[in-house]
Amino acid sequence: MDVTKGTTENTVLFNQKRKMSLNINVNGIQYHMLVNPTEKVIDLLRDRLLLFGTKESCGVGRCGACTILLEGQTVNSCLLMAYQVNGKSITTIEGVSGEGLDEVQEAFLKEGAFQCGYCTSGMIMAVRNLLESNFAPTEEEIKEALAGNICRCTGYGGIIRAVQSLATTE
Amino acid sequence: MHSNLADRPNAIRPDGIEKVTGKLNYLTDLVFPHMLYGKVLRSAYPHAIIHKINTEKAESLPGVEAVITHKDVPGLNGFGLIFPDQPVLCENRVRYIGDAIAAVAAVSADIAEEALQLIEVEYEALPPIIDPEEAMKPECIHLHPEGNILHHAHFKLGNSNEAFHTCSVIIEEMYELPRQMHAYMETEGGVVVPEENGCFTVYAGTQHGFKDRFQLARIMDIEEEKIRVISSPMGGSFGGKDELNIQPYGILLAQKTGCPVKLHNSRTESINAGLKRHPMKIVMKSGTDRNGRLIAHQTKIIADTGAYATLGPAVLDFAIEHAAGPYLIPHIDTEGWSVFTNNGVAGEFRGFGGNQITFALEAQMDRLADILSLDPVMFRKINMREAEDLGPMGHRIAPTNGAHDVLIEVEKLLHQKKSEDKHEKDPWIRKGTGIAIAMHGGGLGYGRLDDAGGRISLSKEGKIEVSFGFEECGQGLLSVIENLTTEEFACTKNDIKIVIGDTDAVPVSGSSTASRGTSMVWHSLKKLKRPFQDKVLHNAASLLNIDPSCLTFGKGGIWEKGTLGGPSLTYQDLIRQSEEDFSFTTKFPFPVTPDPVVGGHFLYAFGGVVVEVEADLLTGKIKVTSLEHVISAGPVVSPQGYRGQIEGGGVMSLGYALMEEAKMIDGVYGFTNFDRYLIPGIADVPFETNVYAIEDLYDGDQYGPRGVGEIGTISIAPAIASAVHDCLGIWIRKLPITQEDILAEIERKGLVEWM
Repeated sequence: MDVTKGTTENTVLFNQKRKMSLNINVNGIQYHMLVNPTEKVIDLLRDRLLLFGTKESCGVGRCGACTILLEGQTVNSCLLMAYQVNGKSITTIEGVSGEGLDEVQEAFLKEGAFQCGYCTSGMIMAVRNLLESNFAPTEEEIKEALAGNICRCTGYGGIIRAVQSLATTE
Repeated sequence: MHSNLADRPNAIRPDGIEKVTGKLNYLTDLVFPHMLYGKVLRSAYPHAIIHKINTEKAESLPGVEAVITHKDVPGLNGFGLIFPDQPVLCENRVRYIGDAIAAVAAVSADIAEEALQLIEVEYEALPPIIDPEEAMKPECIHLHPEGNILHHAHFKLGNSNEAFHTCSVIIEEMYELPRQMHAYMETEGGVVVPEENGCFTVYAGTQHGFKDRFQLARIMDIEEEKIRVISSPMGGSFGGKDELNIQPYGILLAQKTGCPVKLHNSRTESINAGLKRHPMKIVMKSGTDRNGRLIAHQTKIIADTGAYATLGPAVLDFAIEHAAGPYLIPHIDTEGWSVFTNNGVAGEFRGFGGNQITFALEAQMDRLADILSLDPVMFRKINMREAEDLGPMGHRIAPTNGAHDVLIEVEKLLHQKKSEDKHEKDPWIRKGTGIAIAMHGGGLGYGRLDDAGGRISLSKEGKIEVSFGFEECGQGLLSVIENLTTEEFACTKNDIKIVIGDTDAVPVSGSSTASRGTSMVWHSLKKLKRPFQDKVLHNAASLLNIDPSCLTFGKGGIWEKGTLGGPSLTYQDLIRQSEEDFSFTTKFPFPVTPDPVVGGHFLYAFGGVVVEVEADLLTGKIKVTSLEHVISAGPVVSPQGYRGQIEGGGVMSLGYALMEEAKMIDGVYGFTNFDRYLIPGIADVPFETNVYAIEDLYDGDQYGPRGVGEIGTISIAPAIASAVHDCLGIWIRKLPITQEDILAEIERKGLVEWM
């Protein structure tokens, strides 16, 4: 960036010419690759690792369709760059279920917590993260935890019922 | 009889597991070898003359494989579901901010994006026409050769001008309804793959694959059979992907490069290029006698249809048809104009003109009831149609008590709500209750090509294969097909195979729009069942050496009636041992009124809402705290899908009522993403909602379940407006109901002492 000349170099484009060595763990698998440091994490996941479960809908961190877990915390993968995840571990929707389905996935199926399914991967990541730290979330806590995830199809009814069905009362 | 859908058992959707595991490949997820990435250059101005387009620099950028302009369109340089008036690639004029001028295919999306910057377009900017009323004036510059009025429609019954003289009460009001964005989560996109012999496979979401194929063949000047459209699944559509979007650029670039080309709109591109709901200005004048009986009803509608036609004319016709809704009014005069402007493109959107007109109609009913000091439910009862009355344009419709039944249920729910504790927790919070009802036609209506149909066969793997030319946008069509088929043949979901959304593999079923899917699957299966069943059982009988009348369909195969041990012949064995082709196809028109009224419907669904709101006197914020839906649309085929459609449609309209407006400033959108176009989030919706389904049909009704894709979106907005009046005494005439407007009214009325 050269402020004196009144020009600002686009750092994203500038960095495309440089490469960094990236080590990440995605869904328990260790990857090593040469990438542009400013490459978006969602593009790494989708274009390089072919993990298409994570979706991009707004690209500005508003809709939550690209929600993943980074070191166990929900983040928008459309707002993260490669250099920010070096040496870290990521869980995507593909890493949620093992042999069978995860209980959140089961609850989503049972309660009809999705229609088109495009927000679902991100929504499930956010719900899992909520329930991991809070076994019996209140209405306010559910709203808080899922405020970053937009669904245009369900009107949230099925999602709310899915979360509430998993909340333990003890 | 009615049931709360919360009490019905839930079945897992056929596409459910793939969706919750992230394994479902949407068409924008597809990747092909040697695939290129396409980008479209959209206009820099909402209205301009193009003097010159220079693509040389873009073409010489390394990594760019093709740049196309209007010169590269081999066939008709235009598209549009009714009139092909939208240029695929503009040659000398642009009419909206989303008009396409050129497109690029490159080895990466970044390079394609960069190439767009290198395309030089010489524009001569023209003043944008942003007010439809200005556009209607004869002296206004014409946006299209025929002038700026896309469509004018007029319906008259009786003589309303004279009838108003006999009215005791007359209410006249102007209502303003906003431009709303569909905001499907998956933006428009897909891949076009060039195949051998000049054929193409188009993988892109749409709501009518065959119509895309027709339009693309016209653009490419090739036979339709050379194009295969794979159109399902989709990450939402709500009407917005009914018209062509990126497909023309994909196919043109694929032809030019010989490579698969992927296009996937960014959210900003989607906003600029995509359809929206029609903004409408509606002036409605309604009069009653002293007892509250409606006598005369006059409506004038001006719809801002934007730059191109798409389904604008049909949306206006729908609004005209529903201007009197379920009420019997002897003198009706409804006139509307759909007008071209430089404001984006308005077109098909869930509810299809019904949302706008019903908002005005229900608001009128509330105002009249208020002046007459009648209970709003009672007022509606007085004027309600009866089962065998004619439809809203004096046309014959399938007899139905839907409106009446819905109103009775709404009344019961309203009494329950009103009896609940209304104690306000804070002195600055006011609580209010509101209701509204709606009537909504299904199918495309009289005078429009609306072929439906389906196919059934026994597949080589031994499955009952049912095929429809429909798309799964998320609405749950697959569940509907699965449930209806397994019910008809008493089999399990493992015995059937569903084929949809592929023009090479499915029969003509018509569009996945207009609340017609469920209805048409049901009709098709009714027509297909008998011949298919007869042939299958006859063949099974000869293989088993038994009388066909002793056999029946069942789990896993053909069973001998009265036995429990298992099928006598599995479907697999039957197809293996038989030389027969068990395929049957049906084709029939969607039922329409026999009377020649343009767009007139025959099958209607009804909906009603009871809503509670809290108004905050300090912030002007209106919050919906409970939402109860009552729907009458015949038998429920898929309880979870039905509930989802109604709840989801309801919240979409909660957004329409309280937050959403795709505002344009001088022909340019005032927002570029979801950060400034806000749609309801989880914190904006009530946690308690119920959907009550009235499943009874009128005696002798042979038309089965009606679709519910739209009916849940209609009555919410007027019900919220009614609830706002209930708690603040403010009549709403404009959506969305903004905090600013409410605060101004609170101040004007002096509702807070210290203000």
